[in-house]
Amino acid sequence: MSTLTVEHVARIEGHGTISVEVDNGAVGEIRMDIVEPTRFFESMVVGRRFDEAPLITSRICGICSPNHAVTSLKALEAAMGIEISERTRLLRTLLVHGSFLQNHATHLYVLAAPDYVGLPNFIPLAESHPEVVARALSIKKLGNDLTTAVGGRPVHPITAVVGGFTAEPSRADLEALAERLRSVAKDVAETVGLFSTFDVPKFDTAGEMLALKAEGEYAVYDGDVCALDAGWCRPVGEYLDFVSEHVVGHSNAKHSTIDGRTFMVGALARVNLNWDQLMPTARIVASKAGLRPISKNTFANNLCQAIELVDAAERCAMLCQRLLDETGSSKPVGYKIKAGAGTSATEAPRGTLYHTLAIDDDGFVTAGNVITPTAQNLANLEADMRAFAPTVVDLPEEQFVLRIEQLVRAYDPCLSCAVH
Amino acid sequence: MPAHVAVISLASDFGCQVQITNLDDKLLAVLGQFELSYWQLASSGHLPDTYDVAVIEGAVTTPEHVELLKRVRATARTVILIGACAVTGGIPGLAADGFDERLGCVYGDDGTLLVCGRISPMPVDSVIDVDYRVPGCPIQPDELVAVLQRALMGLADRPQREPMCASCKVAENQCFYEHGVVCLGMITRSGCGAKCISLGRPCTGCRGVAADANLEYARQVLVERGLDPARLVTALQLYNSLQEAAR
Ligand code: SF4
Ligand code: SF4
Repeated sequence: MSTLTVEHVARIEGHGTISVEVDNGAVGEIRMDIVEPTRFFESMVVGRRFDEAPLITSRICGICSPNHAVTSLKALEAAMGIEISERTRLLRTLLVHGSFLQNHATHLYVLAAPDYVGLPNFIPLAESHPEVVARALSIKKLGNDLTTAVGGRPVHPITAVVGGFTAEPSRADLEALAERLRSVAKDVAETVGLFSTFDVPKFDTAGEMLALKAEGEYAVYDGDVCALDAGWCRPVGEYLDFVSEHVVGHSNAKHSTIDGRTFMVGALARVNLNWDQLMPTARIVASKAGLRPISKNTFANNLCQAIELVDAAERCAMLCQRLLDETGSSKPVGYKIKAGAGTSATEAPRGTLYHTLAIDDDGFVTAGNVITPTAQNLANLEADMRAFAPTVVDLPEEQFVLRIEQLVRAYDPCLSCAVH
Repeated sequence: MPAHVAVISLASDFGCQVQITNLDDKLLAVLGQFELSYWQLASSGHLPDTYDVAVIEGAVTTPEHVELLKRVRATARTVILIGACAVTGGIPGLAADGFDERLGCVYGDDGTLLVCGRISPMPVDSVIDVDYRVPGCPIQPDELVAVLQRALMGLADRPQREPMCASCKVAENQCFYEHGVVCLGMITRSGCGAKCISLGRPCTGCRGVAADANLEYARQVLVERGLDPARLVTALQLYNSLQEAAR
């Protein structure tokens, strides 16, 4: 019996170690140890002023900080019964979709792609495939510029506050962004093309899939939580009834199940559940790339991230146009601080993100709960590793390990957020 | 010979490393001057035995972090801290108060199952000497480039000494105190161009306390405005709870 270990798996966010026992060509125990240190975020918000909560929770993850900020704002508004304006909703939706552009481009090109072209990182890619790197950087920059225009900076938004925004992008900014978003169409479509040429294993996950769904839109800002296999949809406020979290000894991140089953959240789950709501171009590009729902291939998650890039670019252009055409204000609405508890969810690039915040009459936070996408995915990721490893165990050791790492990177796990 | 750089992360949200990748157009030009020896976020491979410059993100929260930092200091010629977590303890530092109760609070009784050891959060300079600091939550990519250039040229760190109010005045912002809103600009290290204030939010002190800050005077300003001076300290705790000024 020998144990193969990959310590501090590279090109993922956070610190995790994979160990696989192999005995005479048979796979034994497989684990993903999450050694990322806990920072105790849920306890950190307690005792702080309510308006500091979004600043604190957004430090759970610098990569999807706009999502954490927006989700906390929504939880606080739910707690105090605050109704936001339509314009605020549009701007927040733009902020969340902008984070998809930013994130997916980074993950796909900087973290995932090197696997498939046999390189240790993306820097040598600049020499071998300059056009690919140029494309990656231009999509990522557009995502950054978008989140900067709306949120004030690319990481950790400033302008989004309880009830609205303290500043808005100018008309000129919105016009320029809309134009750039339209002209990036070719680059994002080519990204789907590129990822569809990569040789990914045929491997279907046995897990359930969950994502938000809403009437008439590709749900990211709100909606109900829907389960693909089980076919149910339930309000976000009930998430603690259907997502159960438990501590496992080898991981600083809790594992999640629903009805005793492991499940997957993220791009693949969203595309499966919201296929009809994707922008038509995204559906066409996806079909050309050979992806049609329902796909259960875990590795297809990366392709779905690329498909979401196509969707996000077009959708953000449309949102910018709506913000230009429609008047109305995003100035924070007036509100009274009062005690209450609120729950909310958004779709972060890696999947559904839940926040609950409770505050007292003076506006100090009394309790917080956060369930991040990776924390939901981890149990399914381990189940996938167990099912997938025996199918590639005959490969030379280096190839075998690479395949397992690719499976992990297909999830785009964010371990610092999973631990939080 | 280009300097070999290792990018190392302790407990953080990776936001400052994301800001490195956000150098976008400049990324390749900057990295071109260095040999990237290790960067877990962006590359395969392990921390090598030798390198010249260590760029460290994140707060110290485990005994392993302490050991790692000692090894890093013995290896690297230059140590650069990036981000509030590493420089002041940042947001992770908020957990230091009542640290021992937090495990049970977040994980319940099963918390004892958890694997790695943990210690109350600390900024990096309470463990090892450091040469340069790029403050902020997150860092500004341009400031990192400037510090890297200084490190390459062997120039000493030169932090901005004056507080944010100076940049705020240059930006012609209206002062928050005119509306009775607490702003930490009076005591916060400048260099971000008063970003938040210009976008309608008071400064929350993510860049740490400026060397020339006059805390006593700042407290007085709050008193004069009819605000509770204790609010200066509670506001400062957000990113600086482990610093003397916030105690
Ligand atoms: S206190 Fe804040 S708003 Fe007032 S001048 Fe200083 S930085 Fe500007
Ligand atoms: S204004 Fe203050 S809080 Fe905002 S980025 Fe600058 S130092 Fe940080």
